Amino acid sequence: MKIRTIKYMISEGFTNTYKNLLMSLASVSMVIASLLIFGIFLMITINLIFNLNQIQKDVEIDVFLKRDVAIMEADAIELKIKNDERVLRYERLSKEQTFYELVAMLEEDSRLLEGLTPDFLYEQFRIHLKDPADSEVFSNELSTMAGIDDIVFPQELVNKMSLILRWTNVGTVVVLVVLLIISVSIIANTIKLTVYARRKEIGIMKYVGANDWFIRWPFIIEGMIIGLFGAVSSFVITSYLYNEVEAYVNQEAAAYGISNVLRIVPLGTMYAQILFVYVIIGLVMGAVGSIISVRKHLNV
Amino acid sequence: MIEFNEVTKRYSNGTIGLQDATFRIEKGEFVFIIGPSGSGKSTLLKLILHEEVPTEGEVYVNGFGIHDMDRSEIPYLRRGLGVVFQDFRLLPNKSVYDNVSFAMQIVEAQPRDIRRQVPIALALVGLSKKARVYPHQLSGGEQQRVALARAIVNNPSVLVADEPTGNLDPATSWEIMKLLDDINQRGTTVLVATHEKSIVDDMKKRVLCLEYGHISHDVQKGNYTNED
Repeated sequence: MKIRTIKYMISEGFTNTYKNLLMSLASVSMVIASLLIFGIFLMITINLIFNLNQIQKDVEIDVFLKRDVAIMEADAIELKIKNDERVLRYERLSKEQTFYELVAMLEEDSRLLEGLTPDFLYEQFRIHLKDPADSEVFSNELSTMAGIDDIVFPQELVNKMSLILRWTNVGTVVVLVVLLIISVSIIANTIKLTVYARRKEIGIMKYVGANDWFIRWPFIIEGMIIGLFGAVSSFVITSYLYNEVEAYVNQEAAAYGISNVLRIVPLGTMYAQILFVYVIIGLVMGAVGSIISVRKHLNV
Repeated sequence: MIEFNEVTKRYSNGTIGLQDATFRIEKGEFVFIIGPSGSGKSTLLKLILHEEVPTEGEVYVNGFGIHDMDRSEIPYLRRGLGVVFQDFRLLPNKSVYDNVSFAMQIVEAQPRDIRRQVPIALALVGLSKKARVYPHQLSGGEQQRVALARAIVNNPSVLVADEPTGNLDPATSWEIMKLLDDINQRGTTVLVATHEKSIVDDMKKRVLCLEYGHISHDVQKGNYTNED
């Protein structure tokens, strides 16, 4: 294909979009509507996954050493933890540290501890794993080492959270794909109306000897222009609404003191990525919609 | 140039468009195709344009075998043919000039050639002054002349006209026929399907007459009502 032909097709695409302004606007609003629904779902998912991850991050494994553990044994355990790739971070707590933590935690009830010395407690490791789902395997491996009295972690919680996260991920993909398919078919139908109104034009092009791609390209470009406009508009609307919701919810959560449990993620740098996703989806929806719509009218 | 060998066209609903038609049209001929409505004139033209394919028999146009042709070749067949319809079929969103240059853009002609050829074609049909006007601002006769300019701008070897004067008054019809004759004088083969008895009678060209899908007459310098 020659450069001037490409130029011609692009200028045709723009001209047609403008000359069929009403239909173009109808299609743009369909893109906006579909991407808004898509966007709302995307935002909910991002927040759900973020909050679930937050909860998971707090999961810790407590390793209690025997009271009479030898220093060599304790060091061996620490070395093993330190060198394990699954470990995100860990702390080694002496009996004293554990004791003072306990005192601090009990506050005014700390008089319960009167007369006791740190010796009644255990030396302890507090471990955070990169993926809490590894907790069970990790603990089993560690428990074979000498000097360990007990290993404690919230197994129920870990198992449930891994399950929820896994299904949320799968569910998200499924729902987003279904939403996209529905959107493309709605947009294809809208574009079909504009193509139908111009089926005579397509027929004339065919009679003059245009090949199929020569006819298709201006429509594809038109679809992409529509998709782009729709994507940018719905991105502006989505991000505005999101900011409003974010400010409101975070303020309310702070007022009720539940900020650590319920938090709307600030999108910050993610805005660029979301805009990118919107634009790609808009362009693809427009192009695919046009190809589907023109196909039928090319058989002249 | 154009050859039909025992061509039959049956439509899927059972209607017969053309039955056992055999004829040959040589380069540079001017041929009227006449006959009552439903006699098969349009079917014949549609076969030449590969808008339909024959059910039986062979059709050759400019060396393309219509009866046995790949879909991807259709544009190349059509680029060698100029077509004019009763309802003009101009692109409403394009000016007269763009309607004509469009036919050259499709064949990826050089911009230089487009700038040279389009004014020549418009001058030939007498529309030089209306190049920037849109189709809806033109009379029927003028619109048909734009369609003629579009049909000839690529110098096709064959011009096919389906009832080109069907929507025009007698005086304008004559102008269009004169133009078709001019085009023919310049070497283009011209096929015209028509109902216009007086025109056919006066122009004394070859006449192919169709009745119920059969070719009933094929006469040189014929009349519309040849048996009289």
